[in-house]
Amino acid sequence: MPDRLRQSLVDGARLGQRYALPVPQHALAGAAGERLARRTGSSVDFQDYREYQPGDDTRTIDWSVYGRTDKLTVKLYRDEVTPHLDLLVDASRSMSLDATSKAASLWKLASIFATAADNSRCTHAVWLAGDGFRRLPNDTLPPPAWEIPDFDSARHLDDAFAILPPKCRRLGLRVLISDLLWPGDPLATLRRIANGAAEVFVIQLLARTDAEPPPPGNLRLEDSESGQVFDLYLDASGQQQYRDALVRHQESWRDACRQTGARFATVVAEQLEESLPTLTAAQILVPV
Amino acid sequence: MIPALTYPLALIGLVALPTLAAIYFLRHKHRRQPVSSLLLWQHQLKSREGGAKLDRPRLPWIFFLELLILALLITAATGPRWQLPETTRPLIVILDDSASMLAGGEKDSARVRAEERLNALLRERKFHSVRLLLAGSKPRLAGPAVTEQKEIRAQLAQWTCRAPATAIESAIALASDLSKQQAEILVLTDRAPAHDDFADGRIRWFAFGRTTPNVAFVNAARTANGEQDRCLLELANHSAVPQSARLTLRAGTNTLHSGAVSIPAQSRERIILNLPAGTPAIEASLTDDALAADNRAWLASPSRRHVRVQLAIEDESLRTLLERTLESTGLRATQNADPELVLHTSLAGPMATNGWHVRLVNHTNSLAYTGPFVMDHAHPLARGLALDGVIWSAATITNAPGYLPVISAGDIPLLSARTDTLGRQQIVLNLEATASTLPTTPNWPVLFHNLLDWRLQEMPGLHERNFRLGQHVTFRAASTAVRWQPPEGVAKNLTPSGTLGAVALETDLIGLHRIIDNNITTEFAVNFLANDESDLAAAKTGEWGEWNRPEETRREYASVLWIFLLLALAGLGGHLRAVARSKGTA
Repeated sequence: MPDRLRQSLVDGARLGQRYALPVPQHALAGAAGERLARRTGSSVDFQDYREYQPGDDTRTIDWSVYGRTDKLTVKLYRDEVTPHLDLLVDASRSMSLDATSKAASLWKLASIFATAADNSRCTHAVWLAGDGFRRLPNDTLPPPAWEIPDFDSARHLDDAFAILPPKCRRLGLRVLISDLLWPGDPLATLRRIANGAAEVFVIQLLARTDAEPPPPGNLRLEDSESGQVFDLYLDASGQQQYRDALVRHQESWRDACRQTGARFATVVAEQLEESLPTLTAAQILVPV
Repeated sequence: MIPALTYPLALIGLVALPTLAAIYFLRHKHRRQPVSSLLLWQHQLKSREGGAKLDRPRLPWIFFLELLILALLITAATGPRWQLPETTRPLIVILDDSASMLAGGEKDSARVRAEERLNALLRERKFHSVRLLLAGSKPRLAGPAVTEQKEIRAQLAQWTCRAPATAIESAIALASDLSKQQAEILVLTDRAPAHDDFADGRIRWFAFGRTTPNVAFVNAARTANGEQDRCLLELANHSAVPQSARLTLRAGTNTLHSGAVSIPAQSRERIILNLPAGTPAIEASLTDDALAADNRAWLASPSRRHVRVQLAIEDESLRTLLERTLESTGLRATQNADPELVLHTSLAGPMATNGWHVRLVNHTNSLAYTGPFVMDHAHPLARGLALDGVIWSAATITNAPGYLPVISAGDIPLLSARTDTLGRQQIVLNLEATASTLPTTPNWPVLFHNLLDWRLQEMPGLHERNFRLGQHVTFRAASTAVRWQPPEGVAKNLTPSGTLGAVALETDLIGLHRIIDNNITTEFAVNFLANDESDLAAAKTGEWGEWNRPEETRREYASVLWIFLLLALAGLGGHLRAVARSKGTA
């Protein structure tokens, strides 16, 4: 792994210290942990009374109530859980586009979310979407300990879902980090991600060259994933057409997010730190 | 198109063209641009796939605009001129129609080369119209002015090259008159011009002749000489080396003579034959050489007609003098019944239906004149007369009404003539013979020979039987319908005209012609006999004269420089606008 990416993880962890995840109440599920869940459990926080049922722990019977009412009544306490974050990272070749800081920003952003998850007392897992979804080695450890592989997949996210979907934890938080630049129905993709999730965040990470068309002139466009080459002369009208196409594409994703309850934000890789307030404004990250 | 390389500004502009192309090539070389996906470039991909299969130029349109502006400026730098149709000159082509243009045969003659050159010229340059002028013995137009190649070819079919001479100078004068000094004149011939100073810049002279040895008949005559026909054939060798040829003489199917003739360089050879009277037309031929037209000659039997003359003169001495004179001409018939010529001294001569009258005014109170004598040399009676030193004694009379003086001394008519209503000649000879020296001079028999010869010529039929090509042949018809059979082609029926029943024959074909009049067939020969045309040593190849004078060119070609400058300015305006717009967009 290049030192540049390793440094991105470190920088991301440092930046992530400022943020937490907005964990909703309905997302309070998972293994026993430090956060109170909505369901009853074994914490010391009283929740309610209920009539004794055979099989209830006799240690929870409130004997004073029994003395006053002559009914066996048990005390219920709230459960303590650890919420979970599943980071879905697009590991196709386009995310490590040449001459851009897209890959570094991707890992910096993933590191921010992982650190923010720790701040929210959430566990996290990192899923790489390539030829199917697979876990990132050491993904449960702090980000600087992650083993970042090369991005060599030419498949987009829908293909990865079809080949091997991720085993995301139920009622967990799910964050998708991708450039979203592939043809397909965003709604179908989002429904797959949002299935069983408590909250879904979609972060579109674009390089500056993705967000803004190149200057006018003769261009030889090279698709980083398929290797397809396309020569064209780009003029002002072509630039405008590109901008319009990007806006339409983002609108389609924004609509899909609206329909699935997900939150959507776009981040430019070269301006990642400047874009973090955008994520805060979108309530994807919460300042600590 | 005027070559741009001769204009320094245009040359600089030409250098700018590849420079501009190089700048654009370097500026607009394809930059490599890795992209995350071609998804957002689909609109470009679709427009490519949906359009033409050929690759569009990958240079911006502004490059082509700049290229166009440069090209316009380069063209403007060459000073372009447009050949405007309304100012384009017409062309008059003078075609040498003489026989020497056919020397060398059908495929390699000067005519063939000249026609090829004419066609090439017409392909090279446009003319307002083309008019063909055939320069034979006399110039004549081949037709109206034409513009289409097909029409020119049709008129060129008349260029048969059969004339015995070429009147190019007359043709040039005619062409100048026709064009009013506005047309280009092209001469196509086989001879060099007499001078090459074509100062007016209107004439180009192309010659396509080649110096070739040639033996030719240049003279042929057959005259009646008593009971014999005297034939003269004259051959010429115009080349610088001696030539020999085989001469063959035939009369019908009989060969009269066949033998070789050697002629020294640039000299002539005469052959004289005496044939019995009544020998039919003979044909003389030479072996084939460069020019075919002058290798054959025909000699028809000469006419042996005589004039019946009646002398109604009482003066014995004068009568005797006239008898002797008429006998000396050899043209008087032995009979005098139904006279064709009556000589008398009275005011009213004897009756004669077809007779011409010659009245001799033989007054004794006459005056002697020593000259100067005014003479109409063109008159048939005056041919060969030389009256210097002659004492002419004549009565002092005035000219009678209607009589035209042929010879006069002051205001005294000495010999006069008029044509009466029947076409007969009434001649008055005012001469006191005994007091004059005219009867003792050669002029006397010459005068009477002229008289009888003229009468013979005006009698029905042909007096002469052998003609040179181009010579006028006038046949006096006895009937109202004459049939003419030329040596080639179909016979023609001709209608005599005038009181004398004359038929003029256009003899442009050499050979034996036949005329049938009143069931009598008359044969006459037409021979080429053109010494100058047979002289192929004078044939030349070359070009003289030039048309394009700068001041003339300026008048024929209008400058269109302003059009190119305006277009270039418009292009520059568009370029500035496009550049400003692109900057604004950027």
